[in-house]
Amino acid sequence: MKKAIVLGALALALTSTTAYADTSDKRIALSNNYAGNSWRQAMLTSWETVTGPAVEQGIVAAADAFTTAENQATEQAAQIQNMILQGYDAIVVNAASPTALNGAIKEACDAGITVVSFDGIVTEPCAWRIAVDFQGMGRKEVEFLAEKLPEGGRLLEIRGLAGVSVDDEIHAGIEAAMAENSQFEIVGSVNGDWAQDVAQRAVAGILPSLPEDIVGVVTQGGDGYGAAQAFLAAGRPLPIIIMGNREDELTFWKQQKDESGYETYSVSIAPGVSTLAFWVAQQILDGVEVPKDLVVPLVEVTQDNLEEMLEQTAAGSVTNVEYSLEDAQAVIADAS
Amino acid sequence: MNALRMVFSKPWIWAFIAAGGVFFVTVMFTGGASTIGLGQAALTFASFSVIVGLGQMFVITLGPGNVDLSIPATMTLAATLALKVMESQNGMIFVGLLVALGVGLGVGIANYALIKALRIPPIIATLSSSFIIQSTAIWSNRGLRIRPPQWMADLTTQSLFGVPNVALIALGITLVIFVLLEKSLYGRWVSAIGQNMRAARMAGVPVDGVRFATYVLCAVLASLAGFLLASFSGGAALNMGTEYLLTSIAVVVIGGTAVAGGFANVPGIWGASLFLFLVVSMLNTYGASAGVRMLLTGVIIIGVIIAASRRRVA
Repeated sequence: MKKAIVLGALALALTSTTAYADTSDKRIALSNNYAGNSWRQAMLTSWETVTGPAVEQGIVAAADAFTTAENQATEQAAQIQNMILQGYDAIVVNAASPTALNGAIKEACDAGITVVSFDGIVTEPCAWRIAVDFQGMGRKEVEFLAEKLPEGGRLLEIRGLAGVSVDDEIHAGIEAAMAENSQFEIVGSVNGDWAQDVAQRAVAGILPSLPEDIVGVVTQGGDGYGAAQAFLAAGRPLPIIIMGNREDELTFWKQQKDESGYETYSVSIAPGVSTLAFWVAQQILDGVEVPKDLVVPLVEVTQDNLEEMLEQTAAGSVTNVEYSLEDAQAVIADAS
Repeated sequence: MNALRMVFSKPWIWAFIAAGGVFFVTVMFTGGASTIGLGQAALTFASFSVIVGLGQMFVITLGPGNVDLSIPATMTLAATLALKVMESQNGMIFVGLLVALGVGLGVGIANYALIKALRIPPIIATLSSSFIIQSTAIWSNRGLRIRPPQWMADLTTQSLFGVPNVALIALGITLVIFVLLEKSLYGRWVSAIGQNMRAARMAGVPVDGVRFATYVLCAVLASLAGFLLASFSGGAALNMGTEYLLTSIAVVVIGGTAVAGGFANVPGIWGASLFLFLVVSMLNTYGASAGVRMLLTGVIIIGVIIAASRRRVA
C-alpha cells in the first residue's frame, strides 16, 4: 500500500516534469562573447525583439543579454560563473572558444542549469549544441558553381580569419567539394577576415598577379562586396562571386542583375539563430526531450528569391530570420 | 659616391629598398605584366596606413611610453557618425567631413585630459578611451552600413593620370606634416620633448601644450583616415579600424622613426606602408598559407628593422 502511494506520487511527479512544467518563473541569460560587427549586433537585436514579448506574455520570467568586452574566453568563463551565482535557470551561450569554457559550463550544469550553446558552440557534453554546418556551406558554394559553370575554370578563394575554427571548417567543405569537381582549380587564396574592406585590400593585392580568366570566387560571408569592388577597380570582368547575405552584397547583386543579368548565389546563417537557441532553452526547461546536437537551418538567397530576401533585409544589415517557438519545435523534431 | 653614402645613411631608405624588392619579386610572378595594377593597388591601400601612421609617428616621437591605442576606435566612430550624418547625400559631404574631424578633435582632447588631469599613462589612457569610443560607435548605429555619398565614393576610388586620388590626398597631408616636422617650431619642440622632456621644459618648451596638440593631431588624422576608408570601401563597419592598430605602429618603426622617441621620419612612413601591403600581396601571390604568411611577414619586418637600426648606429 505504502509502496503504491510512493510509486503513484513518483509517477505524478514524472508526468508533471515532462509535460506540464511551467517556465513562467524561469530565468534565461544570454552569454555573448563579442558585439563588434553588424552580424553580432543583429543577433543581439533579434534576441531583444523575440525575448521581450516572451517575457511580457509570461512565457519566461527574464531573458537578459550580457556581452563581454574583450572577446576573451577567461572573461566569458567569469561571466558564466556570475550567472551561476545569480541563479539563472538556463544559460544560452555564444562561446569565445569551443573548449576553454568547458570548466565553467560544467559548473553550471552541476548547479542544475541548462546550458545551450549556439554558433560558437562548446564541446562540454552536458551542454546542448546548436551548430552551423559550415562544411556544408562551403560545399554548397562549389556545387552551385559546378552547376552554373559545367566546363569549370579558375577560382579565387577568400578565407576568413586565420586560426578560427569556422574558417577551417568552411575551407574544408570547399576543398572536399573541389576534389569531386576537378574541372575547377583554385589559383589564389587570400584572407578577408569576413570584412569588406580587408577582403577588398587582399583581393586588390593579388589580382594583378592572377590570370584574366577567373570564373568564380568562393567566399565565407561579409567579403563578397569588397571582392567585387576590387575586381571593378582593376577593370576586370566580374566573375561569379558567392555572397554572404549582407545587404550591400545583395544590393550590388540586384544592381548587376538588373543591368546585365548577373547570376550568383548567397548563403549564410541568420543572426536570429540566437532566438532559436532561446526557444530551445525554453523547451528544455519545459521538460521536452531535446537531442544534444541540433543544426541551424541555412538561409539561402537565389536568383529567384533575391528581391524578396532583399526586402526583408534591413539597410546595412544581414538577411535575418527570427525564429518562433514552432520553428524551434520543428528543428528539435528534425533532430530526434 | 658621397651622395650615395648620404642616401644610404638615411634611416628611411631601408623601408623603400624592402618595398622595392618585394614589389619586384611580386611582379616577376607574372613576368612584369602586373606592374601597373599592383602599383596602383599598393598606392591606394598604403594611403590609409600613411595617414594614420603620420599621426602615430608624432605621438611616438614624444618619447617612451607615448602611443595612441585609440586609433582604430577613432576611425570607426568618425566614419560611422560621418556616414550617418551624410545619409548618402552629396550635399552633406562637407558636414560629414566636419563631423569626422570633430570626432578626432574630441577624442584627442579627451585622451590628453585622461593623460594629464588624471595622470594615467598614455598606453592605458588611450586603451580605455578606445573602449568608450568603440561603444559609442556601436551604440550610435548598431553596425549598420550606410553607403557613402556618390561623390565621395567616386573621389576615393578613382585616379588622376593613373595615380589613385587617395594617394594624392595622402601625399598632400604628408607634405604638410613634413613641413610641420622639419621647418616649424612645433616640430622641433616635439623632437626636443622626445629627446629629453626635462631638458625641453627647462629650455622653455611648452611641453604640455605640445603634447596636447600632438594627441589631437593624431586623433584628427585617424578620423580623416576613417572617413576616407569608409568612403572608399562602401560604408563604415564596426571592425574597420582593427587592422590599423598594429599597422600604425609598424609603419612608424619600419619607417625608421626611433621607437624611443625624439627622431621622427616622414618619408619612411610611405616606404613602410607600401612594404606592408606588398609583402602580404607577394606571399598571397606565391600561394603561401596563412600560417607561413604571418611567420614570413614577422621575419621580414624584423629583418628590415635590424637593417635600418644598424645603419643608424654606424
